[in-house]
Amino acid sequence: MEYKTAIDIRKAIEAKEITAVAVLEHYLNQIKEKDNEVGAFLEVFEDEARKQAEHIDEMVANGQSLPRMAGVPIAIKDNMLYKGKVASAGSQILEKYVSAYDSTVVKRLKEAGAVIVGRTNMDEFAMGSSTETSAWKVTKNPVDITKVPGGSSGGSAAAVASGMVPVALGSDTGGSIRQPASLCGVVGMKPSYGRVSRFGLIALGSSLDQIGPFATTAKDTALVLEVIEGIDEHDATTVELAETTAPEIVESDFKGMKFGVPKEYFVDEMDSGVKEAIEKAIELIKNNGGEIKEVSLPLTEYALPAYYIIQPAEASSNLGRFDGMRYGSRGLSDNLKESYLMARGTGFGKEVKRRIMVGAYVLSAGYYDAYYKKALQVRQMIARDFERVFNEVDVIISPTSPCTAWGLGDKFDDPIAMYLADIFTVSANIAGIPGISVPCGTANGLPVGLQFLAGSFQDGKIIHAANAFEALTK
Amino acid sequence: MGNIEFNVDSVAKLAMLDLTDEERAMFAQQLPSIMAYVSKLHEVDTSKVDSSAYLTDLKNVMREDVAIDLSEDLRADLIKAFPSEKGGALEVPAIFE
Repeated sequence: MEYKTAIDIRKAIEAKEITAVAVLEHYLNQIKEKDNEVGAFLEVFEDEARKQAEHIDEMVANGQSLPRMAGVPIAIKDNMLYKGKVASAGSQILEKYVSAYDSTVVKRLKEAGAVIVGRTNMDEFAMGSSTETSAWKVTKNPVDITKVPGGSSGGSAAAVASGMVPVALGSDTGGSIRQPASLCGVVGMKPSYGRVSRFGLIALGSSLDQIGPFATTAKDTALVLEVIEGIDEHDATTVELAETTAPEIVESDFKGMKFGVPKEYFVDEMDSGVKEAIEKAIELIKNNGGEIKEVSLPLTEYALPAYYIIQPAEASSNLGRFDGMRYGSRGLSDNLKESYLMARGTGFGKEVKRRIMVGAYVLSAGYYDAYYKKALQVRQMIARDFERVFNEVDVIISPTSPCTAWGLGDKFDDPIAMYLADIFTVSANIAGIPGISVPCGTANGLPVGLQFLAGSFQDGKIIHAANAFEALTK
Repeated sequence: MGNIEFNVDSVAKLAMLDLTDEERAMFAQQLPSIMAYVSKLHEVDTSKVDSSAYLTDLKNVMREDVAIDLSEDLRADLIKAFPSEKGGALEVPAIFE
């Protein structure tokens, strides 16, 4: 099929060059051909997707005007509710949980005429950076199937990278969209906190979580974001947006843009190949009209420790509801407490238990001030650092990940090594600002991602930068 | 901070988690090193920062404490998702003898 992007697909359907059903069949065939090896999908919604595509074709036949994503196939992460479908968040404890309602993002995708083709694999409750903590299966990196796809939204990243869908949704609490996008060589964006409704998203860290798109181009990213973003009465943290991210208004050059390169992001732990690719990208931006300036974010090294206190604390609280009473499998005991312990003991995997333990510890009497309160204070200081830098520059440039995709199993038993994979992405969640990862070449044959960050609700700026960068590299 | 005190059994109790012997041994080794890593935060002087302030200017949203109407279909779907139900209500083990 010659139409590769969501924007081209919709245009071709509108121009009657192809039907929505033919588009869907193309992608279903790709899934059949490739997914046995890649393992991106937990379930494919073939029948419903076909009905949605047929409905779009009827609209075309009747001469009706088509909505923004008419006939565009999309995959959703397994932690987003879709009425009548299982949403397991990659966990045994939600194996049989069927959504009773649509999450706001799914509702908006349906209204925009998107065709939801399936739910994708993820780290259990989005806790992980490799998708290996999923209770269900291991997803492989389509670029090299001996490598991890990154995580926690590894299924969505792999689905887009292997051409099984043109676009997908992920969720990003500390890098879970941007890092797998980087490792799989696609575009992935975490919007500003409060831009996209979290209603119907199975929560990990409520003050950090944001839903965002995976795509192969910056403009497709803008399209999906435009559809899912905006105020929602079901999520009190969403706000009325001053401007949308419509792809039609995305500019394609660096004229007048000021970029900041934080010296603290070029640490020794970074792979030399990654460093080289990032330096080349910065040179390219500079040679094409972008103004480059060195900036300083002195608290950068404290973002990851703050994150690994705040996020487990919020997770331990959010996951309190999974006790076998209201959700999950009931422990086989007549004693209430034993029943809780059994349901949680057998339903959760090791990484989830590990983080619940850390969360319970940092929130417990005697440790609360030393850890949790301290982390909230550092969070404030990090956010202020970003505000100061964004008074000087429009966009910050950094690597997305300190390394390229690593071998399956390589970091699985070393939690701290796994946590360090998020070192460049967590700051955006800590500060609530938007971030996007775009492909910027390879190191040892594996994709490297370049990250653009902007001030809160300046999401358009990073899409603009991503689009201009893409124009130079494609 | 030097040695991190981490009593796996007492934290597991707080967290309401049943651990296997293997998990207990693994966590006894891993959790103190995770806490040692995040303790790096103690290097930062936070004396001038108000921890009660949140990042956004959002305020709590309140509503009247009244039941909201639910469609019969949604009600049925929600009940269907319960692990155990009786007479249209969530069934739980007895709390009192």
